[in-house]
Amino acid sequence: MPDNWGFVAAAYGLTAAVLLIYWQRLVRREREVATLQRLNAERSHEPSRAGHPRPEPASRPPVP
Amino acid sequence: MVRIFGWFAAISLLAGLVMAFGVAPREVTQGNVQRIMYVHVPLILASYVAFVLLAIASLVYLVRRDPRADRVAHASGEVGVIFVGLGIATGSIWGKPTWGTWWTWDARLTSVAILFVMYLGYLLLRGTIEDPERAARYSAVLGIVAALDIPLVHFSVYWWRTLHQPPSLMKPGGFTGSTSILWPLLVNLLAFVLLYAYFVARRVRLLRAEAEATA
Amino acid sequence: MSYARRALAVAWKDLAVERRSKETLNALVFFSLLLLFVFQFTLGGDRERLAAVLPGVLWLGFVLSALLALGRTFLVEREHDCWEGLLLAPGDKSAIYLGKLAGNLALMLLVETLVLGLFVVFFDIDLGRALPGLLVVVLLGTLGLAAVGTLFAAMTANVRARELLFPVLLLPVQVPVLLATVKATESLLLGEPLGAVAHWVKLLAAADTIYVVVSLLTFDVVLEG
Repeated sequence: MPDNWGFVAAAYGLTAAVLLIYWQRLVRREREVATLQRLNAERSHEPSRAGHPRPEPASRPPVP
Repeated sequence: MVRIFGWFAAISLLAGLVMAFGVAPREVTQGNVQRIMYVHVPLILASYVAFVLLAIASLVYLVRRDPRADRVAHASGEVGVIFVGLGIATGSIWGKPTWGTWWTWDARLTSVAILFVMYLGYLLLRGTIEDPERAARYSAVLGIVAALDIPLVHFSVYWWRTLHQPPSLMKPGGFTGSTSILWPLLVNLLAFVLLYAYFVARRVRLLRAEAEATA
Repeated sequence: MSYARRALAVAWKDLAVERRSKETLNALVFFSLLLLFVFQFTLGGDRERLAAVLPGVLWLGFVLSALLALGRTFLVEREHDCWEGLLLAPGDKSAIYLGKLAGNLALMLLVETLVLGLFVVFFDIDLGRALPGLLVVVLLGTLGLAAVGTLFAAMTANVRARELLFPVLLLPVQVPVLLATVKATESLLLGEPLGAVAHWVKLLAAADTIYVVVSLLTFDVVLEG
């Protein structure tokens, strides 16, 4: 019986491709969530500065 | 911990690949196309592990309402569906040159196809419900119904047909193939189970992060 | 109000609503007639072919009608804003499940009797000795469909793409029931005694038991919100 290496390649190739794609999706989504978490963290620091009238960036004296 | 699973999975996958092509012999009747078995069978068996864990996690969630159990069920479902889908595809690719057909409605193939569709429905249900708490509850109920259905599916389909080769790994008399086939198979089985564990661990971590970020 | 009383109240309400509006019943009757015509056009001439596919065709008709009926189980509650009423109902909500199940079972059996009758008349089928066995199989099979169908109908009631999700969830799970009923019906129509299909009947009985028990235990969870 012929070896049908094409079919072997197809099977292994498909498996590798699908698993890699899933892995990449995980990685990508993790990065998105990390960005989201960072934005959330920054936003939660802002209320502590509430009550101080925020000066315009241009008029703010340079930080020593 | 996720990274440890990842490295173990990667190493054993590599070992499995080497064994599938280096150690395993060229099969007498089928030729080298039989090497597809070293991905096909582990994928299917690993998916069974996934679905068993899904059932257990669903039960735990219903009893304790622990969101961690829900996340494990969710992740297990995802990876399980991917693995069983790939298992069916590789089996089909294996079947074409050896049986002459991409598909046949024998007992084993039919059961696995039903399994695939059932758990695909599980993922669909999760995807359709917006409220995370309700999604967790309903998915858990579906997970349990599906798990209890599996033996019913198995028997009904088996009584309806038989064509697939008798299971050589789980026969009462023990494995009758040679060790040069058995070891590559076992190594690949371990590899895919580790890969499953890695994917689930990583997905669970991501689910928790998503939940916290959108809380 | 006792558990049994509440279950009966739900069943009675559903049947009363149905008797007055006949919406679902009408839909099912017309649907069955339509099926009958389609099957006649595609299979009518060849009696042998018809006999061979009859069990499958019959149960296909039953299943499609079941999907229609079960999909509408909680329609009244949804459309008339009574869903909250279900959620706030006191006591064990599984009584609601039993009531719904009983109502669905009654409706489905009624339609199945009608469909079977139509098939017998229009396709000149001799049921004869097969009838008692057939009744057992139809009863057990319908119970299986209704048991899981009622649970899944509740789960998909408030979900978007409900009409698509409900059959997608129900049909794979119901494969054992479908296989058992079709194969048993096939044997019975060929004149075999009920004993010859004992394994299928046992499977149906086991399936029905599992489905009803699990649904009773988990219905409360589904109606939490």
